[in-house]
Amino acid sequence: MTDSPAASADPRAELAAAARWLAGGGQSPDERATTSDLSIDEALLLHSIGWEPVELVFGASVCSVQTGVWTWGRGELQSPSDAHNLAVGDAAARLGRECASAGGHGVVGVRVDIEVHPRHVDVALVGTAVRPVATGKKVGHPFVSDLSARDFVLLHGSGWAPLGLAFGASFVYAPRRDAGTALRQASQNVELTNLTEALYAARETAMERMQTSGLRMKAGGVVGVQVTEGPIRFARHVIGFTAWGTAVRLAADAHRHVRPEVVLPLDDAVVQFEAESLRGR
Amino acid sequence: MSGPGDLPEAAPRRLESGSFSSGLTVPDFAACLQMGLRPVGLVQGFCAMQWGWYGAGSPYMRGMSPYAAPGGQGTYLQNWYCPHGFVSAEHRSWGQNYEQTWVEDAWLAGFNAAFGRMVEEAKEVGAHGIIGVTDTSRPMPETNIAEFHVLGTAVVVEDGPPPPGGEPWSTYLAGQRLAKLLEAGFMPISVIAVIASVRVWAYCITEWLMEGGALGWGQTNQSTQEIEQVSEAHLAVRALARDHARRQLGHDTMHGTTVWTSEREVGSGDQVLECTLRGTRVRRFKDFDPMPAPRPTVRLS
Repeated sequence: MTDSPAASADPRAELAAAARWLAGGGQSPDERATTSDLSIDEALLLHSIGWEPVELVFGASVCSVQTGVWTWGRGELQSPSDAHNLAVGDAAARLGRECASAGGHGVVGVRVDIEVHPRHVDVALVGTAVRPVATGKKVGHPFVSDLSARDFVLLHGSGWAPLGLAFGASFVYAPRRDAGTALRQASQNVELTNLTEALYAARETAMERMQTSGLRMKAGGVVGVQVTEGPIRFARHVIGFTAWGTAVRLAADAHRHVRPEVVLPLDDAVVQFEAESLRGR
Repeated sequence: MSGPGDLPEAAPRRLESGSFSSGLTVPDFAACLQMGLRPVGLVQGFCAMQWGWYGAGSPYMRGMSPYAAPGGQGTYLQNWYCPHGFVSAEHRSWGQNYEQTWVEDAWLAGFNAAFGRMVEEAKEVGAHGIIGVTDTSRPMPETNIAEFHVLGTAVVVEDGPPPPGGEPWSTYLAGQRLAKLLEAGFMPISVIAVIASVRVWAYCITEWLMEGGALGWGQTNQSTQEIEQVSEAHLAVRALARDHARRQLGHDTMHGTTVWTSEREVGSGDQVLECTLRGTRVRRFKDFDPMPAPRPTVRLS
């Protein structure tokens, strides 16, 4: 870049030079505006491995849940489970398409916002499309990952590549105890197996769906899995379990071991020095 | 107060008092001094806005025809048509998603007035920039009134010239984060805050699905449907907000964007969606110069 201030180790001189450059009408060398929700640390980390942010991208989907399904029943509630899986899948596909049209090779730091309502499931995904620096080449199927830029850099350094968002959900009825059992157990310390079993059923189905969605992407595994579980706010007799994470595969010939350096920080958070040990305590 | 140039009489007196005030934490204060940024005053701007879009002559209502745009319509408009033919007078034979430019204009008028007043205070103390900007907008007790409050610390660049046109630059960053931004080769230009608002007038299919209905005869609870009109509105409101921000960017970068969205159901399937983006417009002043790849560490404490 011409007429730009030279790099300087002195922050005061660098800021003064940048201010002079701006006062002199300095203009951006970039051809296109960039939007990003990355922090400056994340942007610097991406730059350190030769990647850059391109565009803030969005994906959203709202899917219907049929009325009446939250009433009492047995087994899995198919409609909300399907609505959840369809909504996340559609939102992730849209996020990928936005990324591809912006020239990104993938989306990092995706924030997953899922709301289950009685009659619809809302999913919104927000992330930053990224690509190798100064690469004009577009890719057909960019990856979508909820890993932070820091995790992406670490994964990249270890020889692994993100493929996409793997997800699964299941909503299961917790069957009522019969009146006799409820009365018998009223004053006992006892496990409520109906609830435990419902939790297990929901978990197994959701986890299996998440792993299946990872396998469809030919992933070696799923990292950064997050789960939510428990009774549904507006239908306490239904146990919901959702799981999502980033599907990854080994991109290098073999896993590259990260050998961290051990550090002992000296910035102790103690506010006031108390010479207790000097007094033999 | 009607606009710039109308600071309260006490404000210039306070700002000229000789001692500075600042909203910086002590670590941020120390980092700024290290960079050669001298705080000169805590500057603020306020604006209380009344929303006046309800009532006669308001463009709040849906267009009278599915083939005409509602008044005040922006760049986004999508119509949806019932596939059933005439059913009844109450049947929603068409629906519309559209951008509510009057809502966006009102919000921007409030924000820009408060921001402009803060900048005016900064100019009063001869600032070159405003750092650590925060802004809030919240409803006041009376209906349809919102208060905007923008706050930041005015600073002078030691050994630096005044900014072009005397207009101070501004940023949501301060302290070490600002130092790292400069280290990365970016100079802050201005904070950017924008809003997009989309109204969903549901047509029969959207209304039916949002109320828990299923499409087609004999369908069981095995089936689920995407509610296309609402999904499109969710995408549109976010994309519009991003487009509004891009229009203020030129060829610069919007850094550290925060996204806030809200939805309000106003009827069967009818919704108002809003999306606010905030971030700092920054300009690259030196060539891409990546830092060395970081060394992974493990803390012993």
